[in-house]
Parts: sequence; structure tokens; C-alpha cells
Amino acid sequence: MKLLNEHPSNTASLDLPCSTSALTIVPMRLPKIDRTTLLLVIVALFLAGVAWVRGGNALALKGLEIGARTLLSVTPLLVAAFLVAGLTQVLISKQMVERWLSASSGLRGILLACVAGALIPGGPYVYYPIAGSLLSSGAGLGVLIAFITAKNLWSISRLPYEFALLGPTLTITRFCFTFVIPPLLGLAAELLFGRYIENIRAAVQ
Amino acid sequence: MTESTLILFALAGIGLIIAWRRGDGSARRSTEAGWSTFKRTLPLLIVAFIIVGYVNALEPQAFVRTWIGPDSGLRGILIGSIAGILLPGGPYVVFPLIATLYSSGAGMGPTLSMITSWAALALLSVSFELPFLGWRFTLIRFGLGLIVPVLVGAGGMLLSG
Repeated sequence: MKLLNEHPSNTASLDLPCSTSALTIVPMRLPKIDRTTLLLVIVALFLAGVAWVRGGNALALKGLEIGARTLLSVTPLLVAAFLVAGLTQVLISKQMVERWLSASSGLRGILLACVAGALIPGGPYVYYPIAGSLLSSGAGLGVLIAFITAKNLWSISRLPYEFALLGPTLTITRFCFTFVIPPLLGLAAELLFGRYIENIRAAVQ
Repeated sequence: MTESTLILFALAGIGLIIAWRRGDGSARRSTEAGWSTFKRTLPLLIVAFIIVGYVNALEPQAFVRTWIGPDSGLRGILIGSIAGILLPGGPYVVFPLIATLYSSGAGMGPTLSMITSWAALALLSVSFELPFLGWRFTLIRFGLGLIVPVLVGAGGMLLSG
């Protein structure tokens, strides 16, 4: 219930029975800042401090100026990258990936898991819940390791950002070097530790 | 970088045509998804690029070359790998920072190690992994994965000569 806002006029304009708004205690909402942002702000402030100590206001301003100029120069690339990432999000659905992966095992399962990991868009809050549901529906260790490692190393929704911000040389070299890793890691995990999958399943459920 | 821009816009164009032909509002939803990601990450982007600006202004070339330069050898690769594990944030935060280090004189090997270890082993994503897959799973994945950034870095070092 977002009833009591900080501005009194907001409450006055609400067309609700007075008793509801008077009895509901709404905690003060601070702007939501996650830990990553906070950590980065601290790093930025620290660096600004170092710049100021070393070169006074001139260097402190120079840092901001370089930052702004760099951000502006990559803006067209970022716009395209966000667009491509948005497209992969919509064109490839979670259901599609889950349907692919259910009931696949062995080497075939590991390879399918790699492709699924590469295709699935979104951050850790998307693919870990999916991995969790695969685990509870009976997926093997190799399949799960391959899925997550492929998401991490093959992810096609991350490639546009990598391409835009790190440039083609680093991106293509990195991609080629890590190309064999997801299936290999999945296979190695299955062979070495596959027998622990029931313990893992039991512990999570 | 203009070629990269063209390639990405071409990809976006192809994707939009595919989405358009579906005729179910996919194209509109795609641009909305992109726009909402952009809005969500804008504060992070600004902070990340302020950091990039200061790292550049402080002229870290000598420092970067010493620790993760082209001649830093296995030590540089290990430092790159560990730094990658610890780097916080998504691609739009981490990639500009690594790009700055690279242009300040980091070697190909340590740079590739850093990208790879951030991608495969980022500590921050483990906090999502634990509740869904448990510590045994994380231990196996992390243990097997530790060697990967080191190998990739060694490959990069050989490639760049």
C-alpha cells in the first residue's frame, strides 16, 4: 500500500476512506540502492579523493570530464547493445529453453545444455532459478554445470555489451579461447562428481 | 569503433525484422525490454564511467604495466584471474573498467584472464547460486572452473607473443 507519501498534498488528493490511510503505517521508503551500486560509488569517491590529493580541483574535474566523454563516445554502441539484448530476451523464451532441456542426459544432454545456456537471456536471478528447477526435475550434474558455464561463457545476450565495450579483438579472442570449456567442464563434472548429484538434490529440497 | 556500431545496429535491424514478422508485438516488447534495462542500469553506467574517468586521469600506466603488463607472466595472469573473481556488477560496469586497464597497458593474457574469471567465477553471482543449487554444487563448479581463466590467460600471452 503506497498511501502515505512524503508530500501532504498526495494524501489529501487520495479518494480513499480516511480510516484506511490513518490506520496503515507505511514505513519510509528510501531510494533502493543495491550493494553493487553502493560499492561502486565508494570506489568512485575514493578515486576522486586520490585525484584531488594528487592534482587538486583540476585533476578531480579532469576525471569527471574523461568519464563523461568516454560514456558519450560509447553511447551509440550501448543503444545498439541494449536493443540487441532486448531482442534476445523477447525472441528466446524461458519455456523454449526449459522444454529443450527436460529429459536430456548424457553427452547429448550436456551439449543441449550448452546451447540452452548460450541462448537464455537475463542475469543470475533468471538462470539460477531455472537451474534450480532443472535440478529438482532430475537433471544430472554435467547438464547443470554445462548450462551455467555456457551461460557464463557463451551467452549471446552478453556478447553485444562485450563487443561494444571491449572491442572486437578481445571479444572474439576470448570467445574462441573459451569455446570448448562449457561442454568439457560439464563432462568432467559428470565423470568426476556425477555420483554426488543425489546429495546435491536432497540438500536443496 | 564505428565498425562495431554498424555491426551491432545491423544485428538489431535483423532481430527487429524477425520480431516484426511474428506480428505479435514482439518488436515493441523488445524495444521496451531494452529501454527498461537501460533505465535500470543508467545509474550504474554513470558511476562506472566516472570510475573509468578517474582511472584514466590518474595515469595508471606504470602501475598497470608492472602488475598486469604484457611481461608480467604467470603472476600477471593470476592477479588478473583473482581481480576478475572480485569485480562487482554486470557487463556494463565490468567491461568499461577492463577496457580502461587494457588501454592503459595491461597485457592480452591478464586481460583475457580477468574477463574469463569475471564471467565464469564472479563471486557476486555465487550468492544467487547457493540458495538454488547448494554449496556442494558451487564447490564443484568453482573448483573445476578455477583453472580456466589461468589457461585462457596463458593462451592470450602466447598469442600476443
